[in-house]
Amino acid sequence: MRKRIIYSIALAVLLVSAQNSLGQDWGLTFSAGVASSQMNDLKYLQEHILSTYPVEGKITSSFPPFTSASITMFKQLYDHIRIGGGYSYSTTGGKSSYADYSGDISTEMNATSHRLGAYLSYLVLGGDRLDLSLNGSLEANLTSLSLQSYYEILNYSNGISNNYRSLSPSVSAGGELMYTLKKISLGMEAGYLVDLKGDLKDTDDGDPLVDPNDTERVLSSDWTGWYVQLKALIWLKL
Amino acid sequence: MRTYIPIFFTVLLLSGLHACFYSDSLMYEVEPVPGDPPILSVSTNLDTLHNPPVNDSLEVIYQAVVEGGEFYYVYADVVNTLIFESDSSYGSFWIDSVLADSSGVDTLYMEFYYSSNTNSLADKVNYEARTEILKYAIDFNLGGTK
Repeated sequence: MRKRIIYSIALAVLLVSAQNSLGQDWGLTFSAGVASSQMNDLKYLQEHILSTYPVEGKITSSFPPFTSASITMFKQLYDHIRIGGGYSYSTTGGKSSYADYSGDISTEMNATSHRLGAYLSYLVLGGDRLDLSLNGSLEANLTSLSLQSYYEILNYSNGISNNYRSLSPSVSAGGELMYTLKKISLGMEAGYLVDLKGDLKDTDDGDPLVDPNDTERVLSSDWTGWYVQLKALIWLKL
Repeated sequence: MRTYIPIFFTVLLLSGLHACFYSDSLMYEVEPVPGDPPILSVSTNLDTLHNPPVNDSLEVIYQAVVEGGEFYYVYADVVNTLIFESDSSYGSFWIDSVLADSSGVDTLYMEFYYSSNTNSLADKVNYEARTEILKYAIDFNLGGTK
């Protein structure tokens, strides 16, 4: 373990010490698109909540692929290698509901992922205009989950809202195809993110969100899934 | 032309802002299929009496049976005064002669609430009920008491 850390530090020192003699350019990328997520525990919780309805409700959405965006600042270390850091954002959610003439009942879950981490890219194929790169990132993933249940029956109404948070490491790997236009490049990227899952805890009292059928098990967020994004790259001369 | 480009991108960005927050406005709308309506039968000790007199007081004994449903509540009021309420389908209460200001015939109202069997959300949580109101003429005879 210690050897690995030493090798990693040595590699980082070598890369950083070489940077001045090689590429000088900095760049900024903006990406926006769609990302899927597994969220098996939250889908399970959604099924459980639905089963507690006094009527036969329905899950109208269950954590579908939804908006994903990221911003990355990088330095061109070598002709083929870029290194940097950035912020990524994803969101999804689920809803179960029932409504008839006498009232309605609904449960909504909204989950957002804020990821901050390091970015590495390797140019596989470079042409005059077209570049094909492989990239990867290692990030700390902060998940916020809000869970709201509400009912209105005749003249009675009531609701409950809880917020949960989790922290987990995540790794992503993918490829990007960019078309260069002077100081800006446009293209797209696609990849797969592996989230190592984080236990969800109540933001107010820190209590874990437990499995209703097994209180020993804590439910977790899981953003593992593919992503596809449109990407813009701006070169900066710093 | 150059001034329009930032405006275009700002509008584009703002128009996409709603997509940054997941939301689902869809509600699963259902038209409940009602079951057979329950049948309520009520019997009281006043059923066979004609204008029963309230000299000092009068006891009313009732029994409600709901076939194919659930009994919720009974209220009784006379001279615009609530004199009894219960969630029991069998019971009794007293009508006191002091309720009336003067002698004469008044009406005892008994309201029975029971399940609607509409299979709606309100029915499932016992918030929706059928009502049946029974009326009995009672004769306040205050000669001896007032």
